[in-house]
Amino acid sequence: MGFGSKGRILRVDLTGSSWRIEHFDEAFYRLYPGGKALAGYLLLSGLAPGTDALAPENLLVIANGLLTGAPISASTRFTVAARSPLTGAYGESEAGGFWGPELKMAGFEAIVISGRAAQPSYLAIRDDHVELRDASALWGREPEEVQAKIRAELGDKQVRVLQTGIGGENLVRFAALTNELRHFNGRTGMGAVMGSKNLKAIAVRGSGRYLDAVHDAKPISALGRALGKRVKEQPQAWDMQVKGTPGLLTVLNAAGMLPTRNFREGVFEGTDNISWESYKKELLAARHTCYACAIRCKRGVKVDDRHQVSDAYGGPEYETVEGFGGYCGVDDLQAIAKANELCNRYTLDTISTSSTIAFAMECFEHGLIGLKETGGVELRFGNAAAMLKMIDLIARREGLGDMLAQGSKRAAQIIGGDALKFSMQVKGQELPMHDPRGKVGVGLGYAIGELGGDHLYAAHDTMFANPDSVSFKGAVPLGVSALPPRQLGDAKARNYAILENWNSFGNAVGLCYFGPAPRSFIQIDEVLALVESATGWQMTLAELLRIGERATNLARAFNVLNGFSRQDDVLPDRLFQPLESGPLAGAGISREDFERTMDSLYELKGWDPATTVPTRGRLRELNIEWVADRLRV
Amino acid sequence: MKLYLGSHLSWYVPGQVSQMEIRLAESVSLMKLLAQLGLPSTEIAIAAVNGGLVRLADTQVTDGDRVEFHPPVGGG
Repeated sequence: MGFGSKGRILRVDLTGSSWRIEHFDEAFYRLYPGGKALAGYLLLSGLAPGTDALAPENLLVIANGLLTGAPISASTRFTVAARSPLTGAYGESEAGGFWGPELKMAGFEAIVISGRAAQPSYLAIRDDHVELRDASALWGREPEEVQAKIRAELGDKQVRVLQTGIGGENLVRFAALTNELRHFNGRTGMGAVMGSKNLKAIAVRGSGRYLDAVHDAKPISALGRALGKRVKEQPQAWDMQVKGTPGLLTVLNAAGMLPTRNFREGVFEGTDNISWESYKKELLAARHTCYACAIRCKRGVKVDDRHQVSDAYGGPEYETVEGFGGYCGVDDLQAIAKANELCNRYTLDTISTSSTIAFAMECFEHGLIGLKETGGVELRFGNAAAMLKMIDLIARREGLGDMLAQGSKRAAQIIGGDALKFSMQVKGQELPMHDPRGKVGVGLGYAIGELGGDHLYAAHDTMFANPDSVSFKGAVPLGVSALPPRQLGDAKARNYAILENWNSFGNAVGLCYFGPAPRSFIQIDEVLALVESATGWQMTLAELLRIGERATNLARAFNVLNGFSRQDDVLPDRLFQPLESGPLAGAGISREDFERTMDSLYELKGWDPATTVPTRGRLRELNIEWVADRLRV
Repeated sequence: MKLYLGSHLSWYVPGQVSQMEIRLAESVSLMKLLAQLGLPSTEIAIAAVNGGLVRLADTQVTDGDRVEFHPPVGGG
């Protein structure tokens, strides 16, 4: 019997070409049970404030969650974290796929990478055998080729490869990582950090089993089997399997909150052309999944028509369909699929790439950049060819792409004038495709989130409006209140704080957002039982939420030490302006109400509302008083 | 009448389809339409007729209308 972990961290120093294994005990793991929590601990305790994100001294932390690799749907996620080159803040991104579970089977909870290799290299891990290998021949090559060559070189077709691509090599500040070509740690520029270290890939193969390290394997296996059957019997899980995330598009459009042309509008007239129904007809070639997951939400696409789109890199998710769709004013689904493929080939985050291009389109339409800067490209909303051209330029850092590769905030500062008004970002990270004017809890998340613009810690208010809905009923154990989606105030702050802790807990233990309630079909009491089976710890739901809150506080402390404060927890001005058309015409966000709700949120979190610094008392309650010492509070 | 069911609402109807055409001999209330289709009203966050948002409780539709129902959804 174990506590769900072998208790081992691999530390790799690329500068010195050396590595060592560190051990931690059960008490440590109970505080930091993987993922965001473990990564937050390792970064806050190991990285000097002010370290340049692209310097060798930055740490690249890759951490599995407590449940990563369990034979249960949605237990596949791993976290990659570092100081972000896009935001300068705590950077983090989760991915599913197969790589995290394989690292677990190799017996590691995390890898901490420091330094910079003298030449392009890749790390090969096979259980306890760790080797830094020459990747000179792989540098500048695309992921499909890199993965095939590494597998051939290691003589193992089953080895799992996590890699960065040309975008990461070229230090695009929103470059991603990919595993198995179809799964991405997209956000906050972790691919650029890996590229800055001259590290092309990490290949992993393990011979262990997840269940070998757990307290009680039987209930875990039983739940895995039950979920396999339940997926077709529960509407939300069924929807993720059949339509996947692209099914969201028509819903948000009908509600008038589909971010269109850089958040200028909330309804896109071309929605029918890029809806799930069109996707199914024009693009869909296969359905894929992650390790042991019965949901199978990943789409495979193939196009051989106006564009040629390879089936190697997976199909666009909702964020990508809309980012390169309505957000850039494009209603050509094949062009959107091509944009997705290009981003995945180059390992670029599709949200920041599409948003930065939309920003440049608005600058072009306002005359802030012209044909001279774009190299003769008419960079207007709706111009799909121009959009595709920009992706190439960004990845290769050529022409205008060199500036856009720094993200929309830095590009706006270079362009000057009104450009910053068109940069829809928080802390430098571009906003996802959700308009807070229709669901204000998402705005609270954008503003207060440690990562900058991110939608997966936030409360998507529409799920918590009707107390009789499937989503609300799933969230009842958390103690949330039924509230109108556009209502701000103390109760909304409370809902936000609870749901952020729940989502943060999910990222600590390696659970995908699409697994548990309220978004999907694993009930909250089942998650509680799962943690107990894996670890033997008899935790209450409040203790699980505290894991999430602790992880958030580690990230907040990291940001405070790197100079972030209340003035960084803000929304772009445009979101306070009312939408001019569509079902939400006239709807803006009241700045006064928003700030008052933020005050309430800081109070709930135990953070000073002026500085956002966590209080010693709250950190003590979370059993991380050492963080207060670091913060000198 | 053309009916569109967003996201997981398709799960509730026969054939689990997202689009269907229904012949209406006379006008019908949205609540009655939901009952006939087996769709729970508690799962309807948005109802729209011909592109405009409407209230479930007091809306009638006729043949030739385009009706949309959408459930509450989260992030993606």
